[in-house]
Amino acid sequence: MRYHRWFSPWVLVVPALAWLLVFNLWPSINTVILSFTNAKPIGGGTFVGLKNFEALLHDEQLRYALLNSVIYMIVCLPFLTIVPLGLAVLVEKKLPGITFFRTAFYTPVVASAVVVALIWQWILDDRGLVNGMAEKLGVISGPLPFLSDQWLLLFSAISLTIWKGLGYYMIIYLAALGNVGRELHEAAAVDGASAFRRFTNITIPGVRGTMILIAILISVSALRVFSELFILSGGNGGPGGRDSSVVMLIQQYSQGFEGNLGYASALSIVLFFVTVVPMLALARLNKKAADA
Amino acid sequence: MRSRRSIPVAALAVAALTLAGCGLGSGEDTSAGSQPTVDANAKVTGEVSFQTWALKPKFTSYVEGVIKAFETKYPGTKVTWLDQPGDGYDKKVLSQASAGQLPDVTNLPPEFALPLAKQSLLLDVAAADPAVTTDYVEGGLTAYQYQGLTGTFGYPWYLNTDIDYWNSTKFAAVGLDAKNPPKTFDELLAAAKIMHDKSGGKEYLMSRLPGIGDFTNAGVKIVSDDGKKFTFNTPEAVALLDKYRAAYQAGYLPRDILTQEYLGNSKLFTQGKVAWTTGGGNAIVDFQKDNPSLKGKVVPSPALDTPPLYVQGLSVSSKSKNQAAAIALARFVTNAENQAAFAKIVNIFPSTKASANDPYFSKSDGTPESDAKVLAFESLAKAKSLQPAVISGATNDFINQQISLAIAGKVSSQQALDAAVAKADQLLAQ
Repeated sequence: MRYHRWFSPWVLVVPALAWLLVFNLWPSINTVILSFTNAKPIGGGTFVGLKNFEALLHDEQLRYALLNSVIYMIVCLPFLTIVPLGLAVLVEKKLPGITFFRTAFYTPVVASAVVVALIWQWILDDRGLVNGMAEKLGVISGPLPFLSDQWLLLFSAISLTIWKGLGYYMIIYLAALGNVGRELHEAAAVDGASAFRRFTNITIPGVRGTMILIAILISVSALRVFSELFILSGGNGGPGGRDSSVVMLIQQYSQGFEGNLGYASALSIVLFFVTVVPMLALARLNKKAADA
Repeated sequence: MRSRRSIPVAALAVAALTLAGCGLGSGEDTSAGSQPTVDANAKVTGEVSFQTWALKPKFTSYVEGVIKAFETKYPGTKVTWLDQPGDGYDKKVLSQASAGQLPDVTNLPPEFALPLAKQSLLLDVAAADPAVTTDYVEGGLTAYQYQGLTGTFGYPWYLNTDIDYWNSTKFAAVGLDAKNPPKTFDELLAAAKIMHDKSGGKEYLMSRLPGIGDFTNAGVKIVSDDGKKFTFNTPEAVALLDKYRAAYQAGYLPRDILTQEYLGNSKLFTQGKVAWTTGGGNAIVDFQKDNPSLKGKVVPSPALDTPPLYVQGLSVSSKSKNQAAAIALARFVTNAENQAAFAKIVNIFPSTKASANDPYFSKSDGTPESDAKVLAFESLAKAKSLQPAVISGATNDFINQQISLAIAGKVSSQQALDAAVAKADQLLAQ
């Protein structure tokens, strides 16, 4: 009763392979093709060589979008890599009522990004909670332009991302902490190591792999940020579109009947390379640390 | 090492080969495909599809009645009615057009019809039915005639316009009279200053940024005659933007309008946060329904300058296999009788010349709601499309971004308008 036919493995692989080809590989190749054209949603387009990429070099908004993406990543990376680990260590302890805190930290993750961003918009606008309270307390004389100043808007969106991401990465760390040997902590404690020393010498090395994974996830999602900036800026990227992200520009250029699919595809390729670079750097860092 | 290097080379080769044969189409097209193959006297029979935009379920019985009347008038015809949801209609039409499956008769506003007409996907209805140029009002017709294209690419269906609404309580609180509201933009600015100063900066009159329509009203030419260049970076436009900028810097407008989307103006008015908004003839009913405390406090008046004209129309697909029935259906749905019946169940106005003297639209029963309707109807006579259809959604976004930047004081008005024109030209040329 042996069924070792040559095609058996292929039968198993075909569904996944078909999915990959149709929904991943072909769209990717098509994006590359479109980036060399002036294609529009109706009527197709023609080959324009490197014209779209040349236009990218002179696109002031792209420069702002890239700057925003990099700032987003630089700020989010340390916050969302380290703070959730601290939270995970705190809520890992089996104390009465600790489930409440675990749930409380995780709640923002469950809420939809759009709903959360809308709530933050209400909190931060000129007549919102923050400005209202600050004015009542006499801390400020006029409202702070959280939603209309280029930098305040960007950092409001970053704060939102951090607040929403803390619980998600905390859960990942919680799972990883389960693999850190309790006996190591006990032995170190017997040898007189302080809690901080145990954290830096046992906990952090124990979750290093997870940390790198989280850092990669954060970098990618920070560079591809959309919802937070889109909602907080009312969809227009703030004054002058200076709070746009690269994904917002892609959306802006490709929308509607006259959408410029060629230019939007060229932007997608830029985004791809911008995203891949920190990913490769972190993967290399991880490999070096593992080899050491 | 060699095999590793060969991978990107192979990938480039594949991409180059694919590019060579990708067959993206010819891009620009001629307008030859827009010419009808039938005339108004052709026999009307057979099946025809008809697409409307968010008319179900509120107007189901009206549309079904019109369809039934059409099928009775033209025995042997069968109309298939498709109604698309309000949200994402542009995407739906886009996917239909890309797939070559545009219904025979489709409700398209002028800015949706333009890109389809450019690709010869819509019929020049005036070529098949010359009466279209005499039976409909000029504003409705010109909305479907585009610079650089020959023909009329839709039957005007229904029209609307904006009038002004004022919050009389807020006016009275600062010593202003809503019954005698500002009549020019400069008077509006002066009233905004009074409202700001006398309320200690807590109340606002204005809450919208200027747009292309405001530039048109200020006498600024938006597009060149050949439709290939934008021209709105003129001293007049700069002066208007400077006035808004000064008003914003002085605190006469809420600071967060820079991040509001278009409807912010009427939403803030409904919430009782600002004292002025623009809206259609029926907007007063919505304000009072959404915020009953506004009842009796809303005073309508004519728009400050030339009122905007909003047009909806029915276009006929050039790929229709039953052009005769499609043209007849578009004409039938938009005729004076059917439009007047429609306008009596919803607050829109007919685009047919024959409806101009209908007392239903021109006589008020004295209530503010009825006054608003009559004001809007009277405004239609001088209303114009203030924003050329050539301005796409993305172009509009970029222009608004630059206007916001100038209002925020980050760049001068001239710099912002120059940047907006440059970007708009770039998008138009692509």
